Amino acid sequence: MSINKMVAKRKIRLAAFLAVMGPGVIAGLADDDPAGITTYSQLGTQFGYRMLWTLVIATAALIIFQDLGSRIGVVTRQGLIGLVRQKYGARAGSFSAVSLILANLGTMTAEFAGVAAAGQLFGISRYITVPLTGLVISYLVLRGTFKKAERVFFALSAVFLAYIIAGFMAHPNWSSAFKGMVTPSMPLNHQAINIATATLGTTLAPWGLAFIQSYAVDKRLTRDDLKLLRADVWVGSLLTGVIGFFVVITCAATLNKEHIFSITDASQAAVALKPLAGSLAKYIFAIGIIGAALLAASILPLSTAYSVSDLTGSPAALDDNFQEAPLFYSTFAAITIIGGGLIMIPGVSLVWILISSQILNAILLLPLLSYMYGIAKDKKLMGEFVAKRSSLNIYGSVIALVAVCVIAQFWFLFHN
Amino acid sequence: MKQTPVASINTVAKRLVGRGNLVITRKSVRDSLVSVAALIGCQVRDPNGKTIGKLVDIVVRHGEETYPPVSGLIVKVANHKSFINGARISKLTQKEITLSSTKINLENYQRRPGESLLDADVLDHQIVDVDGLQVVRSSDLYLAPLDKEIRVVGVDISFVSFLRRLFPALIARRPTPEHVLDWAMVASLTDSTGVVRTSSSKSALSQLRPADIADLIEDLAGREQGALIEMLDPDLAADALEEMEDDELESLLRGLPAERSAQLLARMEPDESAEVLRDLGSEHRESILSAMEKSVAKQLRELVSFDEDLAGGIMTTHLLIVKESDTVASALKLLVENKERDSSDGVVVVDAKGQLVDHIQTVELIAAKSSSSVLDLVAKPFPTSVLIDTPIAEVVEEFSNNRGSSIIVVDEKNKPIGRILSDDLVDALSRSRPRGFSKGSGVLS
Repeated sequence: MSINKMVAKRKIRLAAFLAVMGPGVIAGLADDDPAGITTYSQLGTQFGYRMLWTLVIATAALIIFQDLGSRIGVVTRQGLIGLVRQKYGARAGSFSAVSLILANLGTMTAEFAGVAAAGQLFGISRYITVPLTGLVISYLVLRGTFKKAERVFFALSAVFLAYIIAGFMAHPNWSSAFKGMVTPSMPLNHQAINIATATLGTTLAPWGLAFIQSYAVDKRLTRDDLKLLRADVWVGSLLTGVIGFFVVITCAATLNKEHIFSITDASQAAVALKPLAGSLAKYIFAIGIIGAALLAASILPLSTAYSVSDLTGSPAALDDNFQEAPLFYSTFAAITIIGGGLIMIPGVSLVWILISSQILNAILLLPLLSYMYGIAKDKKLMGEFVAKRSSLNIYGSVIALVAVCVIAQFWFLFHN
Repeated sequence: MKQTPVASINTVAKRLVGRGNLVITRKSVRDSLVSVAALIGCQVRDPNGKTIGKLVDIVVRHGEETYPPVSGLIVKVANHKSFINGARISKLTQKEITLSSTKINLENYQRRPGESLLDADVLDHQIVDVDGLQVVRSSDLYLAPLDKEIRVVGVDISFVSFLRRLFPALIARRPTPEHVLDWAMVASLTDSTGVVRTSSSKSALSQLRPADIADLIEDLAGREQGALIEMLDPDLAADALEEMEDDELESLLRGLPAERSAQLLARMEPDESAEVLRDLGSEHRESILSAMEKSVAKQLRELVSFDEDLAGGIMTTHLLIVKESDTVASALKLLVENKERDSSDGVVVVDAKGQLVDHIQTVELIAAKSSSSVLDLVAKPFPTSVLIDTPIAEVVEEFSNNRGSSIIVVDEKNKPIGRILSDDLVDALSRSRPRGFSKGSGVLS
């Protein structure tokens, strides 16, 4: 075989790898984690097709900022938190790190909540499923075998593709769905603002932004790889949006139509899959939830720990032991233990945790997106990849939109 | 400054002892370290103790000296940032900055080449720890009086010092020299003008192996990558570039000015240069080649034109050729003259028509009488040669059949035009192995 062909083949293999399991697609599927599915289910159950436009905007925002994140990573070869420290100083760097850690802690808690909820569908207590999940993840990550496991989780979470079929089988009102996508309207009440904010927060998750950038840095992707990476990010982000869309219309065509207007536990959300799977619906739902939760839960603590070591400027690797990278392992342990611990509090509402963690995400997105905006327009850092006026306007609009949601959120919180 | 925890510094000092004349190991310096991070924001006073303004940044001048001296201060006076010449500083300690006269010229600061701002350009930025062979972030910088000037002597890379700076002034102003690297052992990569010429880091970097430098280059990007290359001696830089991954090198060259790329590629092994030039695409390739010396450019153009899966595409054209009639002495002289750049272990002998006769090893030449003719040494085994358009698969076969360390490449008239060393073949074959995304720390999937 000629070298030319072999080189070409390498490129193809790389492209194939990225298309199937690149960081963008992993982040995309992990974005449809328990919190994502619950939020989207709630969106469709409470408001039918009416608020689909929030998902459209959130998906567009996800594409835009994942694309920016991968560009920053490739061009600067520095992680987001490290760059914030360099550009804005020690305090800003720490502030961004704390924001990211809090957001990730919230999302990690939501992953445990998802596993707990799925476990309950099988009739297993959360006091068994949650500690077990913590142990399994720690074992896989610390033993370094999580890459293989990740493929399994990835496959499990792909079960959510079932929503696409379920969506068609539920005979949704397509014209209402289309109208909901393109005409922004919403009831001006706390519930609607809540779910709109959570939709933004779960789709455009802070951890995903940090993850995609660190991935580009860690794998030393070059400017030539950027095209592939961007394609991967677009595919992954669209996948999040498409699955989300079908979750919403499935719930709108089943639960909402049957005048169920709020989801209070996982078995209700699983009802949406009934047209497809009948009595098996809740098990399919549970398997998908567990897969997505484990996929996200195996990336989240690592991505967080990576960002923390990015802040201190000491690169961490998985083959470092505790003495070499104490901060890395402490962060990992803290995120896992606190996240799991919160779910073990007796009487805590899982659906409440799933959705409010995503509202927290949206709040903490504000500083992180603003820092990314500042980095994007820094000629010194970005060189020829510096953002143009038009791109900056788009980034700015997304940030403004998140800000409006967060402010409205607080307004309702104190005026009710 | 009395609270300086000398113990931890001592540990560092111990580690560094024997590394020559590093000032951080001197007690006088250790006892007078002033933290830059703690200094920023301090009041600047006149001799009467009256506050003039707040310190915004410290300007240092990089020159031939190892430890760059402070050339001035940027002070915020009544909401306006002004430059105060370093000559006017009468006292600079952790607690106070006092100027020598009450009358100060407030001038706007204009960045000059070779200067950098410690807070804006160096603090919290990436630096190369030459001793530990890694890219790290500076948590603090230390000044100390040395040779009649106040100079930057060390970089703190500890997490403790970073954390300290997050606290209110009372704690943040107290220096914590924890893990301090001597300035001579780091390479600072950022300044306003793009080039920091610190002789010290140049010399520290020159102690490194090219492969280590290649790793450091690959850890960086953009301006920092360019800055590190600028700091290196061109020959060392070229050696390091040869050690880099193909796509990394390609991406690096895309970011460098054509003249600089030309300078480095001309110093690299021709086959390695040709390979990356081939990948760069014709437009970029031409701009680099046109910045080169004509003869070198011509040779590279020819190499580039060869298909990379044929013998001509991976060979090096650097050959030491002698005629049959030449003496052993002249052959040896040729070897000595080319000892710098050639990894050749002998000379190629050609007849009057320029056709390949033999390859004679250096050892044979040394053992022979210096006045005898090269022809006397020509004997079996004769070298393996391949035609320039031989596919690589056949070259591999030739190699394994003959167990030699090199093969000579000839044109259709049997004239030697290049050599393929076993490492060229290894490069060519490893290039074809899919790399996937298996690089990185393994932290992220």
